[in-house]
Amino acid sequence: MFGIVRGLKPACGLSLGFKIYCRSLGSAPPFDLDLDAQNDKFSDLNNMYTEMFTNDGLEPSKLLTSSSKSATHIYDSEVDELNAEFTETYDFSPKIICGQELTKLVEAPGRFIIQSLSNNPYYNLAVEDYVFKNTPVVKGHTFLNERLLFYVNGKCAVIGKNQTPWKELFLQNCKSKGYRYVRRLSGGGAVVHDLGNVNYSYLTSRDAFQREYFNQKIVGWLKEARPGTQFDLNERGDIHLDGFKVSGSAFKIARGKSYHHGTMLVDSDLASFRGLLKPAHIDNVSWSGGSVDSVRSRVKNIQGAGFKKTGDFIDICVQGFRTTLQEDVPLYLIDEEITQTDAIMATTGHLASDEWLYDSGPKFVIALGREKLSVEKGLIADSTIPGLAGQHFTSFVESFNKGKFGDFDVNI
Amino acid sequence: MLRNAAYSAVRLTTRPTPRLFLRAQSTNALTNSQIPFTFSKSGPLAVKYTAQHEWIAAHQDGTAFVGITKYAADALGDATYVELPEIDTELEAGESLGSLESVKSASEIYSPIAGTVVEVNESLNDSPQLINQDPTGEAWIAKLRVSSLDDMQNEDLMSLEQYEKSLEEDHH
Repeated sequence: MFGIVRGLKPACGLSLGFKIYCRSLGSAPPFDLDLDAQNDKFSDLNNMYTEMFTNDGLEPSKLLTSSSKSATHIYDSEVDELNAEFTETYDFSPKIICGQELTKLVEAPGRFIIQSLSNNPYYNLAVEDYVFKNTPVVKGHTFLNERLLFYVNGKCAVIGKNQTPWKELFLQNCKSKGYRYVRRLSGGGAVVHDLGNVNYSYLTSRDAFQREYFNQKIVGWLKEARPGTQFDLNERGDIHLDGFKVSGSAFKIARGKSYHHGTMLVDSDLASFRGLLKPAHIDNVSWSGGSVDSVRSRVKNIQGAGFKKTGDFIDICVQGFRTTLQEDVPLYLIDEEITQTDAIMATTGHLASDEWLYDSGPKFVIALGREKLSVEKGLIADSTIPGLAGQHFTSFVESFNKGKFGDFDVNI
Repeated sequence: MLRNAAYSAVRLTTRPTPRLFLRAQSTNALTNSQIPFTFSKSGPLAVKYTAQHEWIAAHQDGTAFVGITKYAADALGDATYVELPEIDTELEAGESLGSLESVKSASEIYSPIAGTVVEVNESLNDSPQLINQDPTGEAWIAKLRVSSLDDMQNEDLMSLEQYEKSLEEDHH
């Protein structure tokens, strides 16, 4: 009766405690709910939710059972219950959904927007992949299941699926400066993320796939929100502000669907990005093989154009998306601790694994001075330095950077 | 209730026709001077197309060549990398056979029917641009030993005429 969102709620029981939870996203319990315990009929429930979400040790399955049981007995009268339902119906604030809810949502037709509260890049990419794989598409029917995702990753350096990490990144610097190394499932080049950068991801059908479509929309929305700002698209379809690149894009196409995901630098710590991405040329090191080249660009934040926080950018895009589609597309929140499915957690693990990060990219040949090594699936297949064949390239890199192969005057 | 009442079939007619697809006017037929065609003296037994824009050319002895269509290659733009399958990989119909990267897009390529990979087109490693030059010939992606030639009659597979027609229907 109340549509998809309400219908799903009891299974996960997150609806009534939501407002409290919203304020309790930090690590410590936000405030003492027992103060109004005598007067507030929701206090038991609220306290339960507060405990639930501030206690890391509880299993999600346990939460579901306990909450759905108690949810049936809380109302004193039908009037109260109706009132509560109306409150929810007219409450347009976003909901944090659990894994089951996400599954139902993704597999059903229809548009929606998801904003992740997690800053884990592996989790966020796994959610994106999950939504992408499970969104329904019927060949020959107009596609009305567009989805839009937003996520903000903690410090990380991200390369395209068909790139070579050692060629693109100063991996040692990334590690010492606290930037995780991430390899995407989509194409494109290397970029750096931090908490000042928003990732947006627009999913549509393969037939409707058009590289520049969504960035054109964003440029329009940003200019409308801040008249007079100089946003435009360059010839590669990237968004520029005053001639500086502020956003990078990559795309994925599979099984009749496509997504365009992009970054938007809002208030990133650009100065600390230095020394993470490698320049196109480094003396005495050369690479050959099929891997895709990164295009170096001068970047800046959009903060100076009046978009102070990542949330400002997200809000503008959400409004723009709804206006463009002439539909009040619902927005849901997800979080790594709550919104889990087996597939998402498996992909999260896979994306963070050495196998994916180091051993499954394109094969390549690296020349170091006069020496040459060819590498396939993370292993040295052939080398002019004797005794290396069969070794893991990562262990070679470690020894090489420690100077164990003589005086090369360069690190990999 | 109110939130969901807004679920309606809102048209996307405000969007321009995807420019990428307007380029795709040329033929998707197999290049008859290249190995996917000339492998048997009499030419392939059957050539079929998938909704995901792959073609497959199967020969009398159970060998088949797989690639992507001219339409797909045109739509995707300049290829920069082709991810080829491992030799000896056993594939079910619809399983991923590899992927193609072009202008920052990674596109999956699927096997039209079940079979085992016996050879891959290594020249695509150094020259991914062949995908744009001759996708239905020189830029074949994998050579399969098919599990059964009967699978070429699978109703999900289209003839050239059916495939071209499906393209017109999608983008008229």
